[in-house]
Amino acid sequence: MNKELEHQFVTELENNQNIVHKVCTLYTNDRDSHNDLFQEITIQLWKAYPKFRGDSKFSTWMYRVALNTAITLYRKSKKRIKTQDYESVIFKIKAEEYDPTEEQQLKLMYKAVKQLGDIDKALVFLYLEDKDYREISETLGISEVNARVKMNRIKNKLRTILNP
Amino acid sequence: MMDELELLKKDWQSKEEHLPKLSYEDIYTMLWKKSSSIVKWILIISILEIILPHLLYLIPSMKEGIHFYEEVGVTPYFFGLSIFYYLGVAFFVFQFYKNYKEISVLDDAKSLMRKIIKTRKTVKYYVFFSLSVCLVMFMISAFFIYFNDDFLLSFQGVAEQAKEVTIDKIRTIAMWTMLIGGIIITGILGGIYFLLYGLLLRKLNYNYHELKKLEV
Repeated sequence: MNKELEHQFVTELENNQNIVHKVCTLYTNDRDSHNDLFQEITIQLWKAYPKFRGDSKFSTWMYRVALNTAITLYRKSKKRIKTQDYESVIFKIKAEEYDPTEEQQLKLMYKAVKQLGDIDKALVFLYLEDKDYREISETLGISEVNARVKMNRIKNKLRTILNP
Repeated sequence: MMDELELLKKDWQSKEEHLPKLSYEDIYTMLWKKSSSIVKWILIISILEIILPHLLYLIPSMKEGIHFYEEVGVTPYFFGLSIFYYLGVAFFVFQFYKNYKEISVLDDAKSLMRKIIKTRKTVKYYVFFSLSVCLVMFMISAFFIYFNDDFLLSFQGVAEQAKEVTIDKIRTIAMWTMLIGGIIITGILGGIYFLLYGLLLRKLNYNYHELKKLEV
């Protein structure tokens, strides 16, 4: 691998690292696992980078590799210490901008999303990232209709978690 | 009722500044770290599965055993079985390599899972095949014990034993020991194998079924 390619890749990833961090936030529960998954996604992205020809945006391509790694390739690390401050950093809610009920509701929503299965999480993630159903279906390998059906089911599931 | 997810989406997108930030150097060092992906594990375990049985030949007592088999005339059977076995191994290694090469992180989630499962299945069939050959070897030995007293007497200590107990009794006991021992050893090897892969691929199988369920 030549230096120029390395530089190009690291710069692109540095600029788009939020996508990977968001995936790690959804799929792990502590900082060590977060970093572990981030590293595995980086390795997978780097291995696949020579095949990235730029016919799609770098970020679009990243969504696919990051989710594939999180859902399928990643073997959970053994460390399972749950650091309390971790979630509060990621899901910190700026109190001054929201009224307390909304803040409360958001907290519950984030908690509910974290409880979903791997596939459901991927759907919610792409939805939150404002991806359309075509892109969601292409990323997961299901039909557009099924992606919609599944999304509606998840919405209902979240509702029951929130209003038991 | 307000769509909670829309509320969440708005909040989610406004949170980017709270995410961790890695520097260029942080990311750069990660490029040279070793991957610990499930695909890599399958590859390592498969290579071990193919190589380990052959390392047994390096153990001196195994060499003696092979030599001993040559003397008592079992060799042609085992030789035939070996050719069959190595043809089988070659076939599986080729299939494995072909399937393994097709695995790409750039596929959609479902295709990626399907290809990994397909690769693993090749390994599964290879293990079935190896265990069957192993069982057949035990059965050939049992057969020889039963029908060839020279073979039976050539086992260490059998000749002395034969002075005390009738050869018929020894023959029956030896044959059953060989058969049952063969089944138990094959069973244990199979058990270890399925436990290993069961644990390794539990998450993957579950997620694959989740995606497949959508199609019904």
